[in-house]
Amino acid sequence: MAQSNNSIKKILTVAFALCIVCSIIVSTAAVALRSKQQLNQELDRKTNILNVADLYEPGDDVAEEFQKVTPKVVDLRSGEYTDEFDPDNYSGFEAARDPAQSRTLSGETDIAGLSRQENYSTVYLVGDPDDPEQVILPIRGQGLWGLMRGYLAVEGDGNTIVGITYYSHSETPGLGAKVDTPKWKAQWKGKQIYGEGDGVEPEIGLVKGGASEKTEVDALSGATLTSNGVTNMLQFWLGPEGFGPYLAKFRGGIDQEAVNTTSTDETEGA
Amino acid sequence: MSAPTAKGVLTTPIFKNNPIALQILGICSALAVTSSMSVSLVMSLAVIFVTAFSNFFVSLIRHHIPSSIRIIVQMTIIASLVIVVDQILKAYAYEMSKQLSVFVGLIITNCIVMGRAEGFAMTNSPGLSFLDGVGNGIGYGFILMTVGFFRELFGSGSVFGFTVLETVSSGGWYVPNGLMLLPPSAFFIIGLIIWVLRAINPEQVEENEFEMKANTQPKEAV
Amino acid sequence: MGIRQTLDNLEPHFHKGGKYEQFYPLYEAVDTIFYTPPNVAKTTAHVRDGIDLKRIMITVWLCTFPAMFFGMWNAGWQANMAIADGFGAATGWREAIVMTLGGGHDPGSLWGNFVLGATYFLPIYLVTFVVGGFWEVLFAIKRGHEVNEGFFVTSVLYALILPATVPLWQVALGITFGVVIGKEIFGGTGKNFLNPALTGRAFLYFAYPAQISGDSVWVAADGFTGATALSTAYQSGMSALSDQLSWWDAFLGFMPGSIGETSTLAILIGAAVLLWTKIASWRIMLGVFLGMVATSALFNLIGSDTNPMFAMPWYWHLVIGGFAFGMVFMATDPVSASMTNPGRLIFGILIGVMTVLIRVVNPAFPEGIMLAILFANLFAPLIDHFFVQANIKRRQRRTGDLAEENA
Repeated sequence: MAQSNNSIKKILTVAFALCIVCSIIVSTAAVALRSKQQLNQELDRKTNILNVADLYEPGDDVAEEFQKVTPKVVDLRSGEYTDEFDPDNYSGFEAARDPAQSRTLSGETDIAGLSRQENYSTVYLVGDPDDPEQVILPIRGQGLWGLMRGYLAVEGDGNTIVGITYYSHSETPGLGAKVDTPKWKAQWKGKQIYGEGDGVEPEIGLVKGGASEKTEVDALSGATLTSNGVTNMLQFWLGPEGFGPYLAKFRGGIDQEAVNTTSTDETEGA
Repeated sequence: MSAPTAKGVLTTPIFKNNPIALQILGICSALAVTSSMSVSLVMSLAVIFVTAFSNFFVSLIRHHIPSSIRIIVQMTIIASLVIVVDQILKAYAYEMSKQLSVFVGLIITNCIVMGRAEGFAMTNSPGLSFLDGVGNGIGYGFILMTVGFFRELFGSGSVFGFTVLETVSSGGWYVPNGLMLLPPSAFFIIGLIIWVLRAINPEQVEENEFEMKANTQPKEAV
Repeated sequence: MGIRQTLDNLEPHFHKGGKYEQFYPLYEAVDTIFYTPPNVAKTTAHVRDGIDLKRIMITVWLCTFPAMFFGMWNAGWQANMAIADGFGAATGWREAIVMTLGGGHDPGSLWGNFVLGATYFLPIYLVTFVVGGFWEVLFAIKRGHEVNEGFFVTSVLYALILPATVPLWQVALGITFGVVIGKEIFGGTGKNFLNPALTGRAFLYFAYPAQISGDSVWVAADGFTGATALSTAYQSGMSALSDQLSWWDAFLGFMPGSIGETSTLAILIGAAVLLWTKIASWRIMLGVFLGMVATSALFNLIGSDTNPMFAMPWYWHLVIGGFAFGMVFMATDPVSASMTNPGRLIFGILIGVMTVLIRVVNPAFPEGIMLAILFANLFAPLIDHFFVQANIKRRQRRTGDLAEENA
């Protein structure tokens, strides 16, 4: 028995048969379940987006709610919408790895610690795409231990924040990880990105020991570096290197006025 | 060694011969996935499934496995099962699979699965091997659930996601213990479980490597 | 001799068959505080020495007193300074005690500061002592050991490395962890491979980081944020630090920090006694110091535009944070440190190097000495092993015989 089992022929036969059987099982499982898996990923992304826009309650039908949301791809350099990519399938995060679709950031400009930034990014418009109630921007940047990824929802005035959410991060439990607690996130509602400023340099940021201004949010206590990471990534993504040009046009689209006056008006109105 | 019985192979791995607590196998995943009970539960089920079926299939073809390539044959079977589990989780329990991340894939490297395939399934009938796999999976799951219970209760104040101790950040009184959310806390809890198990079953205690001289003893009453 | 008589009268109750047989360890502990143990070596070859474990531990305990008293004053002074600036004072029983004892919130009053600091430190110490002592006695009774005086030292060291505002229930949890997990489960005093006081603090550090790190825990006044010197240096650079605090102030200890760690001077007084009585190993202290100086010099040399800690010179490393306290009291713990003489030097150097490494390049932890000592504790047996093996080999070469005993 053992003799015959260890003959070359037997070894090859067993190995070959086993490989065939196993590969059939594995590939069947992978193929049969793929559509379901993609649906899940899609659903997960949509839930995060709805969450930040304050549109989602547990139990809601995500697909139905998401009909209020229109994804658009934006050219970050010009701030214009583009039809070059299908907004449902385009991923800025992946594009940032492709040298053809991204640019290298260096030193001074790379405050969020990304090293590469995509040329196009997806934004999500809530409500009527021509006169949106909210726009949701994907943001990411280095925290203390690693990359933090999330969304920021901004009201139709292009200045007032609706909410922020981080769906992936690796910050310290109990300190930096408080970025995804409801209590901390609740402070963001109604804060302003540019305040009374010129609408080019974002003023929003985290401050220690009691936020008093419209553009200030309480820092996470005991997590200075995570807080700095959050401030830096907002400064980056809302500034001229990020969604700054787009937001300027976005505000302009509503009032049909120059950027500077708009932002001041909006602030007073808010 | 007496012939294994169905009841024996199913129950001994839970307390008497626990794969984690006595054989100290599969520690890595026990550290990584036990920060909440629901994740621990899914991981336990996945391991029970993989151990049981890998044992079953290995045992089924045990007379045909050439001894020179037996380890790689076992690995192939285990790996295929793990991939299937991973795919199913991604399709039907997406939230869970996101939290378990790579650790489902790492069941392949879990010594319990390999150990049972090599140590038991190669010499026993498929039915008995299947039960042995289930038993060892439950033994693993028992530790995982216990660790998960303490980590979730003290780390986030909840059990299976239901709030038991209202935490300070949501208006209650309980200050969550951040250490419990970090993987190393599982070391301490597993250590304490081993302590308890050995206090109950003193025969599990290893013999001292050397004898220690006794300390001062109380003298006879005068 | 009243005490001797009382003790002798009580003794039978604690012996086998007596009423309180299981509490013998407690009796023994009290007895040997006052008198030498009754069972002494009587056969020919033995070493006669006036010092035993109990005396050693009590000496170490006394050596912490300068740091302890200064720490109490400083905790009160820091709080009173903040209160004078308009921050809220503590209320309730602390205030009541301060007022009863004639203290106040005048930062100029020596007594006022001291009393206020004491109302923070003494409860911490008391809780440490009671809770830790409970575990110590429980294990001693259960295992038939004697209660070990090592706990005197552990408890005072543990209490001194906590911030003044730490909640008392956390103090209790931390010392429980330190004594049970850090010491007792490995067999009690003498068999622990980690420093129990540091183990307890490390537990709190990871379990409740909000109450033991950051900027708002060091000064006991409501809403006041006073960063430790280390985090100031980390966040704003060396020049910001030296604007705020002179080196002499840091050396004398006029800065926020854990209760006992701030005054390098007070700690060095204790160190002098420990070295003079040969209780602490000078090799370990020297090693820690040299490791720190070498590593910080190396970082000074490399320099960095983004990380201001690179520029911190060694004499600043020495006086801020817990470096001096760790070097003098924690690293020299005879149980968890290396036992061989060359090993002690290496052990110390490892601590010094790791401390500066953590302080300078780890973004999350401004202070490194605690983790560095625990880290080195883990390596102590390994370091010893190499030196013992080397010794055995050398002897073997010299005599040609196999050594009789293996370590």
